[in-house]
Amino acid sequence: MYGIVIREFVRFLRQRGRALSSVARPFVWLIFAGAGFAAVFVGRSAIDYRVYMAPGLLGMVVMFGSLLAALSTVIDRDAGVLRMMLVAPIRRGTVALGKTLGATLVGTTQAVVVAAILLPVVGLAPTPGGAFLALAAIVLTGLALGALGVVLAAGMRSIENFAGVMNFVVFPMLFLSGALYPVRHLGPVLHVLAHVNPLAYGVDLLKHALLTRWADAGYGGELPIALDCVALAIFAVAGLAAAGPMLAREGGVARAAFRERP
Amino acid sequence: MTAAAIDASGLGKDFGAVQALDRLDLEVREGEFFGFLGPNGAGKTTTVHLLATLLAPSRGSARVVGHDIRTDGLAVRRGIGLVFQETTLDRDLTIDENLRFAARLWNLDHHEATSRIDALLRQFGLEERRGDPVRTLSGGMRRAADIARGILHRPRLLFLDEPTAGLDPRARRSLWDLISNLRASSGLTVFLTTHYVEEAEPCDRVAVMDRGRLAALGTPTELKRAAGVGSLEEVFLARTGHQLAQTGPA
Repeated sequence: MYGIVIREFVRFLRQRGRALSSVARPFVWLIFAGAGFAAVFVGRSAIDYRVYMAPGLLGMVVMFGSLLAALSTVIDRDAGVLRMMLVAPIRRGTVALGKTLGATLVGTTQAVVVAAILLPVVGLAPTPGGAFLALAAIVLTGLALGALGVVLAAGMRSIENFAGVMNFVVFPMLFLSGALYPVRHLGPVLHVLAHVNPLAYGVDLLKHALLTRWADAGYGGELPIALDCVALAIFAVAGLAAAGPMLAREGGVARAAFRERP
Repeated sequence: MTAAAIDASGLGKDFGAVQALDRLDLEVREGEFFGFLGPNGAGKTTTVHLLATLLAPSRGSARVVGHDIRTDGLAVRRGIGLVFQETTLDRDLTIDENLRFAARLWNLDHHEATSRIDALLRQFGLEERRGDPVRTLSGGMRRAADIARGILHRPRLLFLDEPTAGLDPRARRSLWDLISNLRASSGLTVFLTTHYVEEAEPCDRVAVMDRGRLAALGTPTELKRAAGVGSLEEVFLARTGHQLAQTGPA
């Protein structure tokens, strides 16, 4: 399992473009989305919109980092590497756990690097307690989304479904997470959807960690910290429980073998 | 009296309505070089995947290296090596990193893994390329690295699933030299699937599969005599004749 985690990380570092773009992405959002939304909210709020956005951006970095790393399981299957893991004397659940932890490590590393640049840029200086809680939030979010990524990858037939995942999973999750605007103003349907969104709990936890000063003005975390943590943990455990058996299905081997028959 | 490396009884697998493997009874002895011959779609790969516990059987069972494939998958996987039709190496990583990754998956001790990897790379002539990403290697080198990966953990039984597909004649030749050296030096049992008839000639025994059923089983000499023909190829054609159109080299 250690091996799977290491491999995931080495692959991430090897793909320089991916590493760089993952760090640059939130700043693109900060500049463009930040400018736009800030203009809309100008004069109305007790908080600079770019500061409000910071926890959400960190959540976004973790999400992209770990979800995409976990989705690389699909590539592993196409390249046959998944089969090497499945024929090794380790349990299916261990393969899923290894991929999830590897993805979490990748997501967490990205988020920590981004946080080190982003927080000073927007002028946020978290307390030691806040920083610790933020790190915990990042790791928990990484676990929950990494597990989700492995489940999605196990269910996907090919890399072509990737765009579908981006459109129907990643972007709704991002917009319903409270990363860009508070979800409490959304209609009842979207509000309910936000509650089954793991990223929403992660972002909420990050707001607890980083926006305490603005909590009274209504910009801090909205749910109890314990609920956020438990919800993320449940997503992670449920995802892992589902991923193991899904990976072991014929998907790892036979489907590919039959597809390649002339 | 040697123990059986593989002992399958009534082993079968369906994919939906398709019967990939009917009911296979087969015994492969320890140390044997066993050829599993048949046209594409005869159930060769399915059989390998069942024996390697990558697929669950629809019926029947088998013991592989002394362990039940239904109940003791981990022990089976510990005792076998498997080289798939397509490479399982990570193209972005170097040969060295790929083998280290495999060593960790097989839970080899770090020092043991290092000396084993060094020895295999030397034996397989890959030493100079060990630091190169797999994507830059030739097909023959990748195959050799795949086999190194397959025997890294010193399995007692090695499955080779159409190992020469896509290799040029020279790479094929050196692959067979490699495998015969391995057999000579370690007494490894080799289970080879192929649709290239000439590759089955050096096997101790050969099974000819056809549409999920065992069509013939014996030493190459026995099979030729039984069919009253001069070459294994003719045995193959006689036993699997109706699928002739699909059996040309890939």
